[in-house]
Amino acid sequence: MADMTLTATPALEGYDRTIGTMRLAERTSLSLVSMAIPLDGEGRAATAVRKHLHAELPPATGSTLSSDGSCRIIQTAADQYMAIFEHHNDAFTDLLTNALDGAVYVTDQSDVWVGLSLTGPDAVDALERLCPIDLHDSNFPVGASARTVMEHMGTIILRTGQHDYLLLSARSSAGSFLHAVETSVRYTQP
Amino acid sequence: MIINHPLLGPRDAAEFVIKGDASLIDRPDWQIENAAEAFHEYLFLRDNPAGEHRELWYHEQGDRSWLVVTRNTLTHEVTRVEMARDVARKARA
Amino acid sequence: MTHRIDGGLIDRSQTLKFTFNGKRMDGHPGDTLASALLANGQRLVGRSFKYHRPRGIFSAGSEEPNALVQLRTRAAQEPNTRATMAELFDGLSATSQNHRGSLEFDLMAINDMMSPFLSAGFYYKTFMWPAKFWEKLYEPVIRASAGLGRLSGREDPDVYDHGFLHCDVLVIGAGPAGLSAALAAGRAGARVILADEDFRLGGRLNAETYEVDGMPGADWAAQTVAELQAMDNVRLLPRTTVYGAYDHGIYGALERMTDHLPDAGGKPRQVLWRIYSRHAILCAGATERSMAFGNNDRPGVMLAGAVRTYANRFGVTPGKQVAVFTNNDDGWRTAHDLSARGVRVTAVIDSRAGVTHTLDGARIETGSAIVDTKGRKGLNWITLPNGIRIEADCLAVSGGWSPNVHLTCHQRGRPVWRDDLAAFVPGADLPVGMRVAGAANGDMTLAAALKTGRETANTVAKDLGLTPSRKAAPKAEDEPSDITAFWHVGGTKSRAWVDLQNDVTTKDIKQSHQEGFRSVEHLKRYTTLGMATDQGKTANVLGLAILAEASGKTIPETGTTIFRPPYTPVPIGAFAGRARGKDFRPTRLTPSHKWASENGASFVETGMWMRAEWFTRPGEKGWRDSVDREVEMTRNSVGICDVTTLGKIDIQGRDAAEFLNRIYSNAFAKLPVGKVRYGLMLREDGYAYDDGTTARLSETHFVMTTTTANAVLVFRNMEFARQCLWPDLDVHLISTTDGWAQFAVAGPNSRRLLEKVVDDFDLSNDAFPFMACAELTICGSTSARLFRISFSGELAYELAVPARFGDSLIRVLMEAGEEFDAVPYGLEALGVMRIEKGHAAGNELNGQTTAAQLGLGRMVSKKKDSIGSVLSERSEMNRDDDLRLVGFRPADREARLDAGAHFFTKGDTPSLETDQGWMTSVAYSPSLGHSIGLGFIKRGDQRMGEIVRAHDPIRDKDTEVEIVSPHFIDPEGERQRG
Repeated sequence: MADMTLTATPALEGYDRTIGTMRLAERTSLSLVSMAIPLDGEGRAATAVRKHLHAELPPATGSTLSSDGSCRIIQTAADQYMAIFEHHNDAFTDLLTNALDGAVYVTDQSDVWVGLSLTGPDAVDALERLCPIDLHDSNFPVGASARTVMEHMGTIILRTGQHDYLLLSARSSAGSFLHAVETSVRYTQP
Repeated sequence: MIINHPLLGPRDAAEFVIKGDASLIDRPDWQIENAAEAFHEYLFLRDNPAGEHRELWYHEQGDRSWLVVTRNTLTHEVTRVEMARDVARKARA
Repeated sequence: MTHRIDGGLIDRSQTLKFTFNGKRMDGHPGDTLASALLANGQRLVGRSFKYHRPRGIFSAGSEEPNALVQLRTRAAQEPNTRATMAELFDGLSATSQNHRGSLEFDLMAINDMMSPFLSAGFYYKTFMWPAKFWEKLYEPVIRASAGLGRLSGREDPDVYDHGFLHCDVLVIGAGPAGLSAALAAGRAGARVILADEDFRLGGRLNAETYEVDGMPGADWAAQTVAELQAMDNVRLLPRTTVYGAYDHGIYGALERMTDHLPDAGGKPRQVLWRIYSRHAILCAGATERSMAFGNNDRPGVMLAGAVRTYANRFGVTPGKQVAVFTNNDDGWRTAHDLSARGVRVTAVIDSRAGVTHTLDGARIETGSAIVDTKGRKGLNWITLPNGIRIEADCLAVSGGWSPNVHLTCHQRGRPVWRDDLAAFVPGADLPVGMRVAGAANGDMTLAAALKTGRETANTVAKDLGLTPSRKAAPKAEDEPSDITAFWHVGGTKSRAWVDLQNDVTTKDIKQSHQEGFRSVEHLKRYTTLGMATDQGKTANVLGLAILAEASGKTIPETGTTIFRPPYTPVPIGAFAGRARGKDFRPTRLTPSHKWASENGASFVETGMWMRAEWFTRPGEKGWRDSVDREVEMTRNSVGICDVTTLGKIDIQGRDAAEFLNRIYSNAFAKLPVGKVRYGLMLREDGYAYDDGTTARLSETHFVMTTTTANAVLVFRNMEFARQCLWPDLDVHLISTTDGWAQFAVAGPNSRRLLEKVVDDFDLSNDAFPFMACAELTICGSTSARLFRISFSGELAYELAVPARFGDSLIRVLMEAGEEFDAVPYGLEALGVMRIEKGHAAGNELNGQTTAAQLGLGRMVSKKKDSIGSVLSERSEMNRDDDLRLVGFRPADREARLDAGAHFFTKGDTPSLETDQGWMTSVAYSPSLGHSIGLGFIKRGDQRMGEIVRAHDPIRDKDTEVEIVSPHFIDPEGERQRG
């Protein structure tokens, strides 16, 4: 029997820094769960998600928030969504799998991604050095999400507030991704 | 170049990977009599039109949809973008 | 500052110090390097490309052909910078270029005397023979004299960046038309970007004395800029050149962010923007051109519009005695403006007869021309056709204005000729979404520019569903703008320059035509007219006109060369952006990376991944020592290797099994839950593509691994199959490569080690046999996946935990393994063990080999449809005498084998005809004590025991090798099943 326990190491060791007016921080406590919709199962999936996550399935470029605000859902592919939980729980995937009972196919993505939050009035100035998506209010209001590429790295960008963005990118290249975002912030801060 | 994704709206072509002729959707039946010839034609023989061309693009840095993009090879004008899955389903129906 | 005059848009309260060729000079904020040089009386600023003729500042903008200088020093030195575009800053250091010796006494000026030998096409004619002179003499000499400025040869210390901008309306150029357009679009509520290459917005408004809305043009420009700046929906980009028009409303723009600052403060020098626009309004204005006459290239000969720019905008007169030569009304404005500022104008020569303009105190010659000029390093006087000489240290020349149509042509549009303007204007075939206004469209007067800018923007606003503003349009007068085309002055023996940058004369153009280079594109290549940094902005139309004359055609019949991006030069560094050095591409790290670097690992890049190749222990002299030890210790006890880089794909759905059955060439539909199977993928053409193992976690849930190299491609192709080939299957793919830290635990003690880690899980052979898989928990509570698979051939497992626990898990495994002397092993030892076991990898699965060649032919099921199954049955791919993957060992066990060697039957002479195959992978096998290899050889499976030659012409080696089974170790597989 094992008498050793494993400890979790955040991809960026909990990076959290303020640069000028901007704060850039690793989100170490997120749970990310992919939910794929079975063929012709949209209705059942939407019902199950509404019942168990207390949220609607969002449109392609938006996101929805659960009624208690603890879970945000974005669409990641034509037949796939991702639930983003504010607080990590190792058992989420199992709980969801059981609760949703085959209405969606669940895949834990928490460790696939690294999460960075970028907060501050100059966020868009920094992001326009990286992000090909139009982040103007008219195109990317609070709640909008997109999956795109930044400095050759696949990225999910989610606008969580007027000046708040959540960026998700691959965990293995977390260091390169942080470097890219941090460089953009440094370059655009006076 | 910009591809107007049917679900996501206009996206830079840099997010996409091109595969080639949309006829690759029409994969032959493996059990027909001249299957080898049919597959040979399917895989290796292509039209190379100067003008409108239907081609497959993959939104790799996006939602990983395969799209059928109708593009004019002379002007780069994109006249139509469809979800390849819908095209494939229609072709089978 | 000997040449400063009153007025101008410079800040005289501050003085900026700079040097030119080491000479200290002063200027003011608002100056360009060019205006400051002129203010200091510096007429000679460079030497011409071919003949090393003395040259001075010719223009006041980005069209400058002559005044190319090197800015800054040491590693930051930048050659071929236009002095007319360089914003002056305190401490700027500039040097002239393209001379040997000093600027004043250039040794290469001898070329000018040799000019009869250096005319058009000399390069193609002169160095033809004798052939052996080429390498030793001609090329070194040409190389030494080619080019303009010099690179520092050091790494660029500056940083560059890229960025993305979006707008409804991109207005290109902030002259009267552009400001008017931006104002109208901005007032209507559109998202506007207004870009201009200048640091001060306003274009010609800053250079002229016209009034707008009853105030000086420059004041109106400043007021308009202030209004635009206050609008949230308008973004101003000064110092930004829109250099290219690309597909679908995308424009390339270069913003010079910190070039004008003494110290960039770590910020990017320049940012290359990709601008996505719904509409674009090109308001790029027009560029003045010269006329060709004898010795028209001396320092002091300038464009007339530039001369008055220096006077009106910069408070500088380029000369104390200025003459004007014009074929149009605009040239007269220079005479009037200078005169009004107290500069002596000695003469105005107008090629048109019957012109009634006058100017007090100046000699007026109409219907006349200039035939020659004098002055060794700067203009002293000009000569009229009747032999009269007129003193002038500056000659302002206006041959008319050419609309800047360049961006209208970047999508294959061709400009059209307008006789009334003697100029090309944009054609009908514009880039999608582009409109043109102002002088760029041939609306040459101020009032017309203001009007068309506004009207165009209002049209665009309506297209966008916006309501144009009702605010009054800016008002201005139409200035006189008559022109009668006049290109060059004949009847002179002196050379008359057309392209100043490339030293192309009227004679060169005529000669090119005589020698058969009659198309404009040929003319360009043969004479170099219109090439290099200025792309002939002041020369092309003149060159065309002279070619047209020589060929007896009209100018429209002669046509133009194609305009391509960039409009003005863009530094390579700006294109590279941040993608330099270690930032060239992302780096991927495995979860055990930190631990590995603490434990002597040496890393190797495999794709983007950094992987441990071996772990050096104290006392080990070379990599082989480490690798041999890692293999031996693994085979004798237990070794641990991070295999996280393998692609992992989560596959779920009711039809997941059926889908896999169609993706893999071997059967998968009936794989039981809790089992893993090796799978071989083919390409549709029947060749082997990728391999890996796939585990079935539940009826509807599989986990696939792919090779590291193909992870992205396999996923892409599986999505293609899912969406395009079999859209009616219920199956979903999610990449989880980064989500799991996965370790191979291999060796006879692997089970005993893992037993210390797992929570209440029976690892016995009966409960968890070879090719079993399970989801379980380890170390108390952490969920994990365990696969009993073996790449090494040993009793082995792969254990996966969520990536966040990867660092912790490697430490726990090593601690738990201490009693077994567990060893970490790297990529090399992994490679050695797979070769010992005869497993194919990238060297064998190289995209050109078949399942049959790999010895996996029987795996390919003929009872089902899968990708590649039909074409894999082609007869040529299934010949009995085809290549087969087998093992090789040296006949002399001491010999070392080499990958890449080709096999020949003993006694055959090596040749393509006798070639029998090649060695793909080799290793020293510590288990066997000699070199071993894998390779393809014809009929290999039927030639066991035969000795053949492994011939390596590159390393000049010839080794006798014996064909053996590829399974060097434990061919029956007893260890991995034990």
